Parts: sequence; C-alpha cells; structure tokens
Amino acid sequence: MKPDPTRFLAVAAGHLLTHTVGALGPGYEQSSVSVMGLVLTSVAEEFERAAERRVAENRELRRIFAAAEEVVASGALREKLACAARGDDTSLSVSELERGNAELRSLLIELHAHVEELDSEQSRKIEQEIWRELVASTERRRLAIGPF
Amino acid sequence: MTTLESQLTAYIAHRMPEARDIQVRDLERIFGGASRETYRFLLCYRAGDGAVERPLILRRDPPGSLIETDRAVEFGAYRAFHGTGVPVPEPLWLEEEARWLDHPFFVMEQITGMESGPSQIVAPPYDQYAEKLAQQKWSILGEIHRADPTALGLDSVMQRVAPEECWKRELSHWERTIDEDELCPQPVIRAAIRWLRRRPPQPPGRVGVVHGDYRTGNFLVDADGDIRAILDWEMAHLGDPLEDLAWSLNPVWRWAHDERAGGLAPRAEAIRIWEQASGLRADPQALAWWEVFSSVKGQAIWISGAKEFTDGVNQDMILVAASWLMGNSQDRAALHSLGHLP
Repeated sequence: MKPDPTRFLAVAAGHLLTHTVGALGPGYEQSSVSVMGLVLTSVAEEFERAAERRVAENRELRRIFAAAEEVVASGALREKLACAARGDDTSLSVSELERGNAELRSLLIELHAHVEELDSEQSRKIEQEIWRELVASTERRRLAIGPF
Repeated sequence: MTTLESQLTAYIAHRMPEARDIQVRDLERIFGGASRETYRFLLCYRAGDGAVERPLILRRDPPGSLIETDRAVEFGAYRAFHGTGVPVPEPLWLEEEARWLDHPFFVMEQITGMESGPSQIVAPPYDQYAEKLAQQKWSILGEIHRADPTALGLDSVMQRVAPEECWKRELSHWERTIDEDELCPQPVIRAAIRWLRRRPPQPPGRVGVVHGDYRTGNFLVDADGDIRAILDWEMAHLGDPLEDLAWSLNPVWRWAHDERAGGLAPRAEAIRIWEQASGLRADPQALAWWEVFSSVKGQAIWISGAKEFTDGVNQDMILVAASWLMGNSQDRAALHSLGHLP
C-alpha cells in the first residue's frame, strides 16, 4: 500500500489535531477529536510493529517454557509447557498472532504462579526470567505518548 | 431546545415549584467524565421580584463507563464536605429515578472560570504555582482523612469496613473487575495481585473517608493557583487513608514528565505535607503495598473501559485513549513499584 498506512495515519492525525480541532469550538466534540488524533498517532506506532513484537514475544515465551519444563513440579503443567514450547506461529496475521500470544501469556501467568511457590535455585532462575520478560513485554507495547 | 434541555427544565420545575419562567440554557457536554456524562448549563428563573441565573453541572449515569459507581455515594460525599475545609461544589438534587432524564443523575453547583486539565496545570502559567498547589493538594487530602465519617453522616451511604478488612475488600473488588472484564491476559497485574496477597499491609489506625480518585486532574484551580474544589468522588468509600495517598503518588499521574508526584512535588514532600495535615503516619511498608495496589486498581479501570468500548456499550474516545495509553503506563508503574523497573 502506497502511501504507507503509517504515513497516512500520521497525516490524518495531524489534520485532526490542527485543522479539525481548530475549526470546532471549545467543547465535547473538540476534545473528542483531539483524543481521536492522539489515538491515531498510537495506531500508526502499533501498525508498524504489530507483527514483529508479537512474533518476538511468542518466541521468547516458548523459550522460557522450554527452559521451565524440567523445573515445574506439576505433570499437567509440564505437559502444557512442553506442548507450547514446541508450537510455532503458523500465520503472521496480527489477529492470529494475538490469539496465540494470549494463549502463551495465560500459560505464563500459570507458570509464574507455580514457580513462585517452589523453593529451588532453578525455580528462582525461571522466576527471574519471567520478570525480565514481563519488563520486556511492557517495553514492546510502550507508546511514545504514554504518560509513564 | 434539545430533548435533554426540556427534560431538565421539567425536572427543575418539579424540584423548584416556587420558581417561575424556568429555562435551561447553554447545555453542553464536558469531555472526560469517565464514570458519568457531565454537562454544564445555565439555569435561569424568576423568584420573587428578581431574575436568577445560576451555572450548574449535571452528572448523569451513562449506558456504560470506566467504572460502575453508586451516584448516591458521590452525591453524599459532596453533601458531607460542602461547607467544610475540603472545598467542593454545592450539591443540589439527587435523582435515582430514570423517568426524568432516562438515567439517574444529580445536579450540583458549577464553579466557573477554573482549570482542571492536568496538562494545563503543569504548564505555564499554572506551573509557577506548583509548590503552592502541592501544599494545598496534599493538605486537603489530609483534611479528608482527618474527617470523622460518622460525624459527616457518610457511614450511612458508604459501606462500613473494619480496619483489617480494608485491603482485602479493595483488592477483591478490583481483582473481580479484572476477572470479569479483561479482554486479554494481564501477567504483570496478576503477578502484582499475588504479591499483594502474600504481603498484607498493616491495618490503618482508623478507617477514614477515601476519595478514591485523588489526583491532579480531579480538582479545580483558579487563576491565582489556588484549589477551589475537589471533584470526582464517584469512587469514594470508607477505608485506609493510605490508599488515597498511594493513588496520588502513582507514576501514571506524573503529568510534568519528571519525577514529581502529580506533576507538582517530589514524592517525599507530598508525603510530608499529607502527614502534617492528616496527623497520620505513612508507614513505608504499608504505603508500598498501597502503591502496588494502586496500579492494580488503575489497570482494572482501564480494562473496564476497554470492555465497554469493545462491547459497544460506550464508544467515547476517552475509553480507547485510557486503555491504550494508560494501560501500558500502568503496567510500567506496577513494575516500578515492585522494583523491576527504575
């Protein structure tokens, strides 16, 4: 698609934030259009990285699950981890990647809660890896205009 | 005249039978009321020999919102604090029946000519008043926490809670909201919830009135940099006063993009002002607990808004902005409070 969608979104956001907002009198509609413009700048940011960040994150989560297999005490959880670790992103559509990401992140929550209850050096290492990934995943989703 | 104007006129005529020639003018929706639709309007009428004009605010329940709250609690808080050292607009009428304006609502005084936008308050010309605003902001919070809920009559509209139950009730409430409304897994906030359950805070010395959303953006500032009214009491409840202090310190409210709490004062200074005004001590461990909790609560609010928008219940742009922009920042704030992010 040319012009690039990110370019279009940036121009559309700029138009809303300068011309349209200026043309509307102060009030609810003006504020609503302002926010719409800001949201579009975030859509542009997310559009560019949407597939890449999900692929990178899913890969990282599967790596953690593979490393955790030998550490977890529960047979059922170990089996889920092994199954997830062997998985792959067969489609690169954002909705499919997102669906897979949600499944992996649900499993991450289960694994995190499980290793917190274990008392071993290996479990502490997995826990540290999970925290590192939680920080990284939050950074991957960071938006330029976020307040913190 | 719009439908809402005529409905409101009929309602006011019902509430003010002595008034003549009642008119509702310049009705205009105000952006950003996340829990209720907020409108400003001018009420004009004749009483005795004189004409009266009074700017008022209408707060009406929307079909859906960021938070589901009891309007009677919000109205009760305004009524309790009006005329005290905690500045609030005068509340006028609470209407629980939907027949007048399609949804329940209340009406209160409009304090005109004020600024409340957080980005504006931390920018010129208001930024010159940052120290004064900080002093007033956390002193007023101390006043709220000094107040006796029973003497104010608030224990009749707010659910009572024992000191040792404060944290459990709040955490369970917001965890339940996340359980019900989340659209995708929340590993950071789930980890924060487990952390909170493993380390309960010391109970407060006494249960107080908790504003529930005490932050820069929820008070009105005049041109001289004085706080004229504390608004948005929709999440007010009885509980641990540290809940409010922690909420006010949450990094997502750092509107000046530096380390000042609420864009106004260093964290230690804010705590000092609050301690002096409230007569309470902010136990560091308990405060740390409530700071992590504040990110759980914040994320629950953004998650709820995202659900409302996705379900088509409320398609206000603020819900998307809050979910995307605040949601990620809230996770970062949680990681920060838990010591995993500088």
